Amino acid sequence: MGRIRWRKWNNVWLLVLIVCTSCEEEKTGELPVLGPYEIHDAVIDGAMKLDTVYTQIKPFEFQDQDGNLVDLNTIEGKVYVTDFFFTSCPTICPKMKQQMLRIYNEYENEEDLLFLSHSIDPVRDSVARLHSFAEKLGIESSRWHLLTGERDSIYGMAKHYMIAAQKDDLAPGGYAHSGAFLLVDQKRQIRGIYDGTDPESVDELIADLQSLLNKK
Amino acid sequence: MKRFFFLALVGLSINQSCDYKPRNQGKALYAQHCQSCHMDSGEGLGKLFPPVKNSDYLLANTTELACLIRHGIDGEISVNGIDYDGQMAGNRQLTDVEITNLVHYILVDMNGQEKAFTAIEVKAQLDQCPIE
Repeated sequence: MGRIRWRKWNNVWLLVLIVCTSCEEEKTGELPVLGPYEIHDAVIDGAMKLDTVYTQIKPFEFQDQDGNLVDLNTIEGKVYVTDFFFTSCPTICPKMKQQMLRIYNEYENEEDLLFLSHSIDPVRDSVARLHSFAEKLGIESSRWHLLTGERDSIYGMAKHYMIAAQKDDLAPGGYAHSGAFLLVDQKRQIRGIYDGTDPESVDELIADLQSLLNKK
Repeated sequence: MKRFFFLALVGLSINQSCDYKPRNQGKALYAQHCQSCHMDSGEGLGKLFPPVKNSDYLLANTTELACLIRHGIDGEISVNGIDYDGQMAGNRQLTDVEITNLVHYILVDMNGQEKAFTAIEVKAQLDQCPIE
């Protein structure tokens, strides 16, 4: 009796082992496309099939630290990393900027990679103030755009990127926002969300953006 | 087995009580009040935030550090050859003892000073910049 029960348990452990190892596999391979998608009927190779259409980042128009217009033309065919911040932010932003600067410096000669940092404080963060901030951070607007624009457009864009940002008088500096970095591919699709304050998470971002750059 | 857990528990509590040194409070205060701008190991960020680790400015102004922490600083300073003109907010909520421990952590652990100041010395420094 005892022996039979033991054998039964052996099978259970085997099952547990199989389930666990099968979960692991999903981590490798293609990066997922994040965000909403629609399924349409489509003719693929002469046959009617269901085709998944992922949402692309919608059109936008902002100004950067040098007064340049930044829109869909700017990011055409490029991979970019994007976040939301404000220059007088006393909490997580400096860390986010340090981590983004790390990627920026690591990919110094990569023309197909851009950085877009949206200021959520359109009142204080004028073009001139963003210019001075960029200068002190030591970055060029040809690769890293610090963006400002209409209040509603900026906040609408945060929502579009699925990033939390809002005015909050109780938060240090007057605004509350997420510390997320988003990775967007050449087709304007979101391929990863990372914690911009955590160096390990940013290491993952670097590995993922390299895989997107390799695909070109 | 039970005895082992008991011993482990005693060992752990002794270990933790021995772990309490002034600089541990200093380190914790640094993480809470300074790190987000001056970065994890005090290296600063570009020309936005000056380094507090191996900082020639701090080493030349050790007796001013306590007041700097309490009241912040506004205006131009030069640190390790780079000019900074940002603003640092003060930390008026910190007590004299907390500032003593923070000063100790910054001067001894981050700037290689052999020793910093006693609580009495720091209190005398802070008396020079009272909170109005």
